[in-house]
Amino acid sequence: MEVIRNFPDSELVANLRSGQRMDETIKAIYRSHFDSLSWFVINNSGSRQDAEDIFQEVVVSFIDLVQKDKFRGESTVKTFLFSLNRYTWLNELKRRGRALAREEKYERGQDKVELDTTHLIADREGKAEVARLVGELGETCRKILLLFYYENLSMKEILDTTDYESEQVVRNKKYKCLKQLEQMVNENPALKQTLKNLLHG
Amino acid sequence: MDNSTHDNDENLVSFLEGGLNDIERKAIEQQLSVDMALKQKYDSLVLTRESIRYYGLQQQVASVHQQMLQEMVAPVRKINSPGKIIRYTIAIAASLVLIAGSYMAYNFFTLSSDKVFASNYQAYELVTVRDLNTDETAIERAYREKKYKEVMRIHDAGEDLTIKGEYLCGTAALELKENVKAIDCFKKVLEENKKTGQSILNEEAEYYLSLTYIRTKEYDNALILLNKMHDDPGHLYNERITGKLLRQVKVLKRR
Repeated sequence: MEVIRNFPDSELVANLRSGQRMDETIKAIYRSHFDSLSWFVINNSGSRQDAEDIFQEVVVSFIDLVQKDKFRGESTVKTFLFSLNRYTWLNELKRRGRALAREEKYERGQDKVELDTTHLIADREGKAEVARLVGELGETCRKILLLFYYENLSMKEILDTTDYESEQVVRNKKYKCLKQLEQMVNENPALKQTLKNLLHG
Repeated sequence: MDNSTHDNDENLVSFLEGGLNDIERKAIEQQLSVDMALKQKYDSLVLTRESIRYYGLQQQVASVHQQMLQEMVAPVRKINSPGKIIRYTIAIAASLVLIAGSYMAYNFFTLSSDKVFASNYQAYELVTVRDLNTDETAIERAYREKKYKEVMRIHDAGEDLTIKGEYLCGTAALELKENVKAIDCFKKVLEENKKTGQSILNEEAEYYLSLTYIRTKEYDNALILLNKMHDDPGHLYNERITGKLLRQVKVLKRR
């Protein structure tokens, strides 16, 4: 049976930074903050589905920022998440062209007291582009690249999860897959710029 | 692609992955600082690697997201359902309280001594069964004929100062809205009965006296009589002294 626990901010951030106990830590974020953040979206012209989608994006953005050392604990995790959530949702409302006067007023009214995270968050389009780009890779390539670059598995560990004959074959395959993806990025300058904005801020 | 280009690319990838020894790493760093084309290639590889890493993060959060929605939605529904019932119950209760409160407030502000009097007062009807040997007195006849001023005149002239005469004086005075007179006559009925150990028209006098006190806003006096009649199941007017009447008089008294 899974033990449900909440983490203090320091432990939560340390886990995300190191990549240790990621699932457990992400679950803790959901349990602690989903209700209050989704409330904001739902009470500002959003649906339950919007609230869920925005929260998912906010969690990804937050972890990414922590791992890039752009969250330095100057505010609480809660405050930071709220600010990310608010900005992401209001930006989405504007994108949809139905930023109501009420939200605009709210936004203006909050600017002075809210944590400013606007410069930290890329547009949703950029995030969707990443998903689309990597999703276009073949399944094998995607799996090998994720296991190596995201899961940080060794060649031997990756070999155990595939049908390849040797580590060298896996290594060669991984190289080819990386170059294939790189080529896909380079073939589309607009996409490349979007990724730069998203990943290098 | 020639071999040197391929080797360069492999070296760059190894450099990206931290797989070179110190000498090789420093050599690449040196090249990157002077060769802009190579630097662009390297940046492109970094961007590609970051895309994979970001995609991995998106996938991991998406996976947890699905688990958490299932975990949170199910209990939330369970909690919400009673929550809704409680909310609706509270809303209904609040509405009932509001309605009851409004009703009470309406009654409170529209309640008056005249209203309470009018809703409880019925003119006394003189019912007399007589035999041939007993004559109807003048005051009785005047009352039966609803000649209330004549009743008062007979009484005030001292022509009929019997207990019944006093009682008819009281009821006639009530009809004429001469409250002070009515109180005086009813009191005399009670005093005389007490003095003589009789109970002629005593309970009737108590009832009409209490109504007269309501009319004159002497609520303490009214309540003494009303409570007495209410607490006495054998009293002729016991059933007329309802809880509602007692509450109304108490409300009038508080105001």
